Amino acid sequence: MHVLLLAITALAVATEPGPTLAVEDTVYTSVPEVLVRAPRVTLNEILDRVALGEARRDSLLSDQAFSFTMRLVGHVGGKREPRLLIETVDRVYRKKPDRVRAVRLREYRYKEKQRESVQAEFNAGMSEEIVNFAFRPEARRDYTYSIADRAVVGHHVIYQIDFEPRSKLAFDKPHGRVWVDTNDFVIVREELHFDRSPAPLFLKDIDRVVVERGRVDGFWVLQRVLVRMRMTLPIPTIGKSFDLSLMYDDYALNRGIDDALFDGEPRAEGR
Amino acid sequence: MTRPDALRATAARARGGAALLALALGAAWARPAAAAEPAPPDTALRQYLGGLRDSTDAYFGRAAAPLDTAGLDSALAWGLLHPDAPQRRQTTLTLVPTFRYNRADGPVYGGTLGIGRAEGAGRITGRMSWAVGPRDLLGGAAWDKRLTRGPAEWRLGVSGGRRTQIIDRERSDKTWAAIRALTTGSDSRHYMREDGFATHLERETPVWRVKVGYADELQSPLETTTTWSLTGNRADPEFNLAARFGRMREITYEVGVQLPFMPVFLQADHSTSSDAIGSDFEYRRSRFAASGDWALGRSFSIVPQVAYGRLSGEAVPQASFYLGGNRSLRSIRGSSMGGTGLGLARVDLIGHDDVLALMRVPHPDAFPIHAGAFAATGAAWGEDPFGGRTIPGVDWPNRQDWLHEAGVQILYRPGIPDSDGYVRISYAWPLGASDRPGRWMVTYSRALDLVDRIAR
Repeated sequence: MHVLLLAITALAVATEPGPTLAVEDTVYTSVPEVLVRAPRVTLNEILDRVALGEARRDSLLSDQAFSFTMRLVGHVGGKREPRLLIETVDRVYRKKPDRVRAVRLREYRYKEKQRESVQAEFNAGMSEEIVNFAFRPEARRDYTYSIADRAVVGHHVIYQIDFEPRSKLAFDKPHGRVWVDTNDFVIVREELHFDRSPAPLFLKDIDRVVVERGRVDGFWVLQRVLVRMRMTLPIPTIGKSFDLSLMYDDYALNRGIDDALFDGEPRAEGR
Repeated sequence: MTRPDALRATAARARGGAALLALALGAAWARPAAAAEPAPPDTALRQYLGGLRDSTDAYFGRAAAPLDTAGLDSALAWGLLHPDAPQRRQTTLTLVPTFRYNRADGPVYGGTLGIGRAEGAGRITGRMSWAVGPRDLLGGAAWDKRLTRGPAEWRLGVSGGRRTQIIDRERSDKTWAAIRALTTGSDSRHYMREDGFATHLERETPVWRVKVGYADELQSPLETTTTWSLTGNRADPEFNLAARFGRMREITYEVGVQLPFMPVFLQADHSTSSDAIGSDFEYRRSRFAASGDWALGRSFSIVPQVAYGRLSGEAVPQASFYLGGNRSLRSIRGSSMGGTGLGLARVDLIGHDDVLALMRVPHPDAFPIHAGAFAATGAAWGEDPFGGRTIPGVDWPNRQDWLHEAGVQILYRPGIPDSDGYVRISYAWPLGASDRPGRWMVTYSRALDLVDRIAR
């Protein structure tokens, strides 16, 4: 039957060339309206719940291990080919309240002659302040908030909330947007922008900052921080514009890391 | 250690390291049993976030590329088994040459040696310098410790030695003063010598700050020893106000707070020096200040600030209040008026747009120029530390003793050392019945300069 149909179609195409119209097959339907009587959640309630959700998330984490990659790519956004300048990979172990150990796994530098090692410092805190800095209870006096959008995604309601510093003189505070999963009231993504450079003398602007979280073992954890910056003057090797990325992979959460792993390491600040 | 002992120790370390490796790999790399369970029904969310992630990948390109994991497992095994591998910690030892200049000390050549970390066991800093003018060796040491507990930070500091201090406590920026004195000869600050020690304990949260301090210093006057500048101008003013000689023992309290839901900062300082704690001076010094800033659209900020100070007891110059300069009345020379009481109110209008760009004037990206304006009123009353007439008033001056001004300013914000610090070229006109002329100033100060903003 199918072969016959194909043969007829091929014959028709061969004998009558030209445009054809598809048969309209859209199904129309309607559903009865549902009157929702529940009061709409206010912005303040959402902010309270986000603060609680973030605090709850932090309280449920006792230890974590992850692979941390820091990458610096120069000459981005221009005519030249972007160039990887630095890549370091560390395996980081953290345990509350103040234990941290980082093991360097890889280090690449474009200029091998550079003697100074590139180091990232880790603290013992797992609250991921870079994600929720504007949504901590104490930050409410520094920022204003507004609901930008809401969307139903599968079994999740995602709120997009914009935030902006109250002070226009707080040049080191960005404005931005967060995506909040209202199942856990946890921030799952964040985009930051700076209206004006924090340091105009050498930094023209911070074009874009993206912070992403992913779900691991039921927890939303930091996965990527990506920043693009433009300098006022080109820097040798780096160029005028560069990208910095911080990537967090291969999480292992709440596995009960033994204290012996941290022997010899100094106590860290927890935040 | 003998060779067999060393071998045994090495073997023991290797066994310990292997156990550690097993522990680390077992605890932190193994997949949990829960991972084998069916995934929760959040595929749609994963796709939603994945779409956003894809656009991020496209924007950042190579920086966002996935990590090549080849060789990482073996590198981790090696790293865990070799904990004695060379540490790549940041060096905490710093040696910095220093140079300062003022008319009391002349050129001051020296250096600072620092070791340790304030977050760890504490940072110890030693300083040594030679003041060419009085042919005096200055120096001392300090220990600073910081401790973070949740959102709060504790700071403890102890310092001691011989140093040159600015008499006007509200004008502590020696760097900008040195640049002006060296290049133009103009330096309105007055200086004194301090020998002794000071300590403080501070707790700061994102909302408030409390600080308690104690100082035991032998304070002595300094005379002008150097009047030259690089441009050939003589030091202006040429005299240096004499501090009263004596041993100052003082307890200080400071409280700062940010009001909820508005960018307003309040600060209160109180210092007490008394015979009861062995001080040669008997005074109480209190100062209150408030600063706020509000956005006017996206292009301007308005910054109102007020300050009030009272000194009771002995009116020693080194505890008095001073009027004039960038941080008070700009139409009056810095620290040129003083008293036992101070009142000040100022409002600055600060533009955020680059006026050169608006006028389509080509200029380097590094130098955006902003425009601003200001108006202020202020008074200093009580006993004059310069020996002039005593302006009547105890808690408040007479109405005719208030001075008023208005002005315009061109602003440049380099972003360092403070993100909200401006280099200002200001012109201030006296308002009201006054024979004072208008005055140009080139200064550097933060936007909210009457309070110490909470840093956290």
